[in-house]
Amino acid sequence: MDPKQLTIEQVQEILLKEKYVCDRSLATVVYLSLVMGKPLLLEGEAGVGKTEIAKVLSKVLGARLIRLQCYEGLDASTALYEWNYPKQMLHIKLEEIERGDKKQVETEIFTQDYLVKRPLLDAIQSEDAIPPVLLIDEIDRADMEFEAFLLEILSDFQITIPELGTVTAKHRPYVFLTSNRTREIHDALKRRCLYHWIEYPTFEKEYEIITTKFPEVETKMAQQICAFMQKVREMNFYKRPGVAETLDWATALIALNRKQLDDKSVIETMGCVLKYREDLSHLREQVENRQFSLEALLRTSPELVS
Amino acid sequence: MDITLETVAEAVSKVASARGKGTLPNIMAFGRALKDLGVKVSLSQLLDASRSADLVDIAERGDFRELLRANLISQKEDFPVFDMLFDCFWREQSYERVPMETMDIQGTPTESQAPEGGDEEGGMEEAATEAVANENLPLENLDEFAVPTYSAQELMNRKDFSEMGTEESRAIARAILLIATKIATQISRRKKIGRKGPVIDPRTTMRRSMKFGGEVIEMSHRKRRIKKTKVVLLCDVSGSMDCYSRFLIQFMYGLQNELWGVETFVFSTSLSRITHLIRTKNIVDALDKISGTILGWSGGTNIGRSLHTFNRNFAPSMVTHRTVVVIISDGWDRGDVSLLEKEMQDIKRRAKKIIWLNPLLASENYEPLCKGMQAALPYLDLFLSVHNVNSLVSLGRTLQKMVA
Repeated sequence: MDPKQLTIEQVQEILLKEKYVCDRSLATVVYLSLVMGKPLLLEGEAGVGKTEIAKVLSKVLGARLIRLQCYEGLDASTALYEWNYPKQMLHIKLEEIERGDKKQVETEIFTQDYLVKRPLLDAIQSEDAIPPVLLIDEIDRADMEFEAFLLEILSDFQITIPELGTVTAKHRPYVFLTSNRTREIHDALKRRCLYHWIEYPTFEKEYEIITTKFPEVETKMAQQICAFMQKVREMNFYKRPGVAETLDWATALIALNRKQLDDKSVIETMGCVLKYREDLSHLREQVENRQFSLEALLRTSPELVS
Repeated sequence: MDITLETVAEAVSKVASARGKGTLPNIMAFGRALKDLGVKVSLSQLLDASRSADLVDIAERGDFRELLRANLISQKEDFPVFDMLFDCFWREQSYERVPMETMDIQGTPTESQAPEGGDEEGGMEEAATEAVANENLPLENLDEFAVPTYSAQELMNRKDFSEMGTEESRAIARAILLIATKIATQISRRKKIGRKGPVIDPRTTMRRSMKFGGEVIEMSHRKRRIKKTKVVLLCDVSGSMDCYSRFLIQFMYGLQNELWGVETFVFSTSLSRITHLIRTKNIVDALDKISGTILGWSGGTNIGRSLHTFNRNFAPSMVTHRTVVVIISDGWDRGDVSLLEKEMQDIKRRAKKIIWLNPLLASENYEPLCKGMQAALPYLDLFLSVHNVNSLVSLGRTLQKMVA
């Protein structure tokens, strides 16, 4: 399947096939990114599916996924390329013994054979028929200085290696960047990307996500889970749960063979959703004091159009 | 700039002459209007937008909106402005089958930078503008605000910020620069390569020995390097802090422009993020922008609720174990004290340090008795006074000790 021939509807469709529910605006942006060959910067709260979309997309396109997890201290030698010094040294030593030609050795040790490819160079040099999907995950964790390395790659899709020259991509990889916004990304980098903000899902969307991922789930329980999550996100918890937590929770409830929620099972399984002791005890209080009633929640949740 | 329907309409009419037939001139004009409204848009983004315009069915309004937005906007905060402009700009175009979306401007969400409604808020706006404009007046006028200040010894260094003129601002700027560097230079876990240091780095040693034909002669070491700390500044701009607001603005502006990782917020009864507003070369521009945007300057105080907003919307992504949270407030709180306490606890858990700067602390008979201050005290790493240049210098010293 040629990604450049897709339409917005088809993007939505193929993502759904891999059980990724995405609304039209996200599909439009993904479509544009594929067709324009422009990197896509995705921002949003933790656990709303920023990383997932790149993974799913690589799967449906049949493309290789090259992932660069950013962290503080990530530098060019771990992200772009590095010379294989030990190998170069060994080569020199061997040539020494054989009294080889000095000039020749010099050129030999700076060839592709002695280059350790890191994710970014790998993505640019890829020979695959389908260009790979390059996921640069949590770019905000890397230092500001690192963003500068990305500029050349993301605008011209090339990497300059002083000893070898410039390596240009045969096919542009499909690039996705994600950020949790622990700091602002530099404008120069943003300019080279399309931008999209992923919101927490609405009740309807979350319901669709659950029923897509778990077709066997009871309708009532799915509704209860969604209503509950919507409510929890509104409340004052230290860490607001994302869709990832919803899915964890649903998995747990299904594994426990629950057909619907009640106060007891909520408290038993709440560790899937809230990950801080204070949050858990806060919720327990709320449930015990009847301030948090499942019945009332379900009554006020929107009617589903099925 | 305060974005209302009127300003948007004005921006649209300004570029009306540039509009023409076809997508390109229209998108260019749209981009210019966006720039007028204070959104950063580059030419390459505009070109990409117009180049990609035929990729979607332009009659599908939602898709077209998404196309322009993904190309031109690169931060969530600009979405409301974009949406307003989009609705206004493309309305007059002959979209026969395009249903106009209702322009729900008055009900824009209460996000920090969401544009506020037009006329009915004019009064408050004026008050805010006035309050800031006052800062530029000769400061004698402000003497009426005789909230506890330092007894008047005429040494400049001793002079309270509440009665300080323009010459002194340089001294302030210097002191702030000092503080900024203190905060900014902490030792990192990351290792820097050098000739000296506790740890040997085999990889670099090998690499360096190549110039001696592979014989290891020089050893390379790793040592720790300087790390940059992030700062979040929460600044009280309610009525009781009025006489200090000149200093506050300078402090916020100075810190923001000296350090790279600073986020700045102001609060009174609600919280606003102003990082992007004061990130300019010129302090006067910054003042203009702030006065246009921030409502509730010199209003009442609700520290608890403001911190709650902060914890809910900003802290999860902005406050980490590397962040120093600086709160500047007199602690006069008219809100719920238990909420304040809980929110302080939350910040404490996330942040590296919490520093509370209280201008009132300087006056001899001041004790942190008010309930708000009482509630916050247990969670503070530092409780200091800022009221004159001397106090800033000693703040700098304390910070140095603290991070050493």
